[in-house]
Amino acid sequence: MTDTMNDTSTYPQVEEGARPGAEAPSHPVAALDDPWPAGADHKYIGSLFIAAALLFLVVGVVLALAMRAQLATAEAEIVGDRTYRQLFTMHGVVSVFLFLLPVWLGLGSAIVPLQIGASRLAFPRLHAMAFWVFLAGGAMVVAAPALSDVFHGWALSDPVPVMLGLPGQGPDMLLLGLVLVCMAAVLVVINIVVTILQLRAPGLTLRRVPIFSWSIMVSGAVLLLALPVLIGAFGMLFVDRHYGASLFSGFTGSRGGNPLLWPRLFWFGAYPVLWALLIPALGAASEIVATMSGRRLFSRDRASVALVGIGVLCFAGWGSEVPTLTRARPLWILGALAVMAPVALLILNWLATMRLAGKEGDRDAVRRGFASTPMLWVLGMLPVLGLGLAASVVSALDAGRDAHSNYWQVGQQHALFFGAATIGAVAALSFWGPKLWGRRLSEALGKLELLAIVGGSLLMVLGMLLLGVQDMLVHTSTFDSNDEWALANLVASAGGAIVGLGLIVLLLDLLGSVLAGRGKPAGADPWGGQTLEWATTSPPPRHNFDALPEIRSDAPLLDLRRAPAASAGEPEEVS
Amino acid sequence: MAMVAVSPTDNLPVPASGRAPIVLPSGEPLPGPVPGRPRRGTSTIGTLLLCTASAMVLGAVMAVYFAIKEGSTTWPPSDVHVGTYIPTIITITAIMSGFSVQWGIFSARRNDGRNAVMALILTLFLGLAMANLEWLTFVRSGFGFNDHAYGTLYDVLIGFHLLHLLAAIVMLLVLSFRTMAGHFSGDRHDALRAGAVFWQYTNVVWFTVVTVLFIFSRHG
Repeated sequence: MTDTMNDTSTYPQVEEGARPGAEAPSHPVAALDDPWPAGADHKYIGSLFIAAALLFLVVGVVLALAMRAQLATAEAEIVGDRTYRQLFTMHGVVSVFLFLLPVWLGLGSAIVPLQIGASRLAFPRLHAMAFWVFLAGGAMVVAAPALSDVFHGWALSDPVPVMLGLPGQGPDMLLLGLVLVCMAAVLVVINIVVTILQLRAPGLTLRRVPIFSWSIMVSGAVLLLALPVLIGAFGMLFVDRHYGASLFSGFTGSRGGNPLLWPRLFWFGAYPVLWALLIPALGAASEIVATMSGRRLFSRDRASVALVGIGVLCFAGWGSEVPTLTRARPLWILGALAVMAPVALLILNWLATMRLAGKEGDRDAVRRGFASTPMLWVLGMLPVLGLGLAASVVSALDAGRDAHSNYWQVGQQHALFFGAATIGAVAALSFWGPKLWGRRLSEALGKLELLAIVGGSLLMVLGMLLLGVQDMLVHTSTFDSNDEWALANLVASAGGAIVGLGLIVLLLDLLGSVLAGRGKPAGADPWGGQTLEWATTSPPPRHNFDALPEIRSDAPLLDLRRAPAASAGEPEEVS
Repeated sequence: MAMVAVSPTDNLPVPASGRAPIVLPSGEPLPGPVPGRPRRGTSTIGTLLLCTASAMVLGAVMAVYFAIKEGSTTWPPSDVHVGTYIPTIITITAIMSGFSVQWGIFSARRNDGRNAVMALILTLFLGLAMANLEWLTFVRSGFGFNDHAYGTLYDVLIGFHLLHLLAAIVMLLVLSFRTMAGHFSGDRHDALRAGAVFWQYTNVVWFTVVTVLFIFSRHG
């Protein structure tokens, strides 16, 4: 059934202008050897983004572990309340804006041009500039607590009249840093989207864009609309704090603004951003499932539509995070529920793909594929994603109420956006890392990391959800020994510690295999890949490809493997 | 002054060094299409996306403006007296600059470098005039930046346009130099078109700001 949907026996409709040779260059090609500066290569800058993201991941995880240590036992006094508030603020900001955001920007900008058969990004120097702007912004964010206390939560809304009572320049610097980070992200996103629209190889129609690139494009569209709202919000908050204006303080009617505005503005931007950071994880998982199953997805078109569905519907549920929006509450509940439907459809698509591979595929090849590390990461992501979706259903039904002010919120967000999105990023790293850096990660260590990170995440999230049921409020820094919260806190802390250990092993693995070059050489195509990035060397040359195979579907290499005699070297049927 | 396409970076062919062997599962090199090179209009599409992002920032500011306005008893506050004279002059200048930048594009399309440069310089002058008048609206508003929420939003909205205008002026200045240097031709002037798109978007920002500040709110 699927093969009939994706079968492209008819030759693609290629615009004449896109054919090679139609715009023959007036210059001799050989004289134009690589005009772009080496510092603007998309694979290099993308790797820098990934490296910076991993560095900030370490920062975020260390902050989280300090919090979990404080909460592991009752009446602990490892950090005081004031330090604890700074810890959760910086942990949230660093994890979302300095880890999840840049890790996908990096993977996207490094992989997308390879997947669509382009030799570079549309604006190479803009990409390089965006990275250094991002790094400056990230440094400002991380340095902010050194100036003065920063303790209002990552939504910058606790206490409610947005930290206006908080003196000092720390929050100001945090806001400016976040503006820079978001601006850099917008520039990268524009670059990637334009690349997909304009630099696709001849024959690679929009419908044939590989599913990971497609997910990056959808996520990019969401970020393009949502991040600027956050830029505007952070900017206005900066104006309030630094220049003494009163948009988010004081009360309307007097000369001031409205304190209720801030959470609405923030969540209108931040809620879609969180989903946009999950979308590429789903795209990467789709790509890995299809490749390791040795076949196309059960329905590639439905997978594309599901991703677009998430991108559209994630704008509908932001009000469920804001306690004061009571009038339209049924709409927010529906909106927050609706976005989960396409995610569920996508998961069904993966399961069907795996089932078909088991039924029709070559048994040994499928077994080998399913035992490979990237596929194991995807299989490990499934329970975390499922738990996150289940928790999200409860959160949606309780829109604006308890589940958004107690630990249920923490558990739900960590299952979806730390758990699933991060595990997806690690899966993508183990899948495409060999392509980018020419070395495979360790198989044995990979399985160890997987057990620790997936198992630890599940424990941690279960502990947090249990705390939600027991109504422990977020931002609680300590508890009595006669509270019932002791057990769940211990479970969450133990889970967090296990995740931390797994991440240490993962980083050592990356350092040893890639930087020290001890990993097995990747070869051009370590996984039996289906898309164009596997049709060049690992690591690819600066200009990515010297030539490309004919592109007749979204999986050109799969076509080649299935009918090598039919397509190789034959003259074009239509020209 | 006819224009010649000599820009080294527009519509580059893919460098083929011959150093990277193509590796396929079958192991043999395949003759195939060359890797994608940019289709026409890449800069213009990038600029359009940038304008979309910027419009969302403006949207966030306007959402705050309308939310605070709805909750206020008098809007603008009773002691605010801002004339509509300067904003009207700026609006007329913006419309004129919209036409002049379009003149530049039409000239470039006809490969008429002299007229294109003249149009761009005229547009630059109109832009500088607008920036000057906007500065005047700050200085002569009669209220401070943080006197009240209206004052803050007034300055933020006009400042938002002023920032875009200054960016557009720098952009157009570079583009007019490039036109004089002969970087564009009748069928290759994508960067010029992108600059014009940004200029027109800046004008749209101004029309929005004027509508919000002066048409939807009464001034003396």
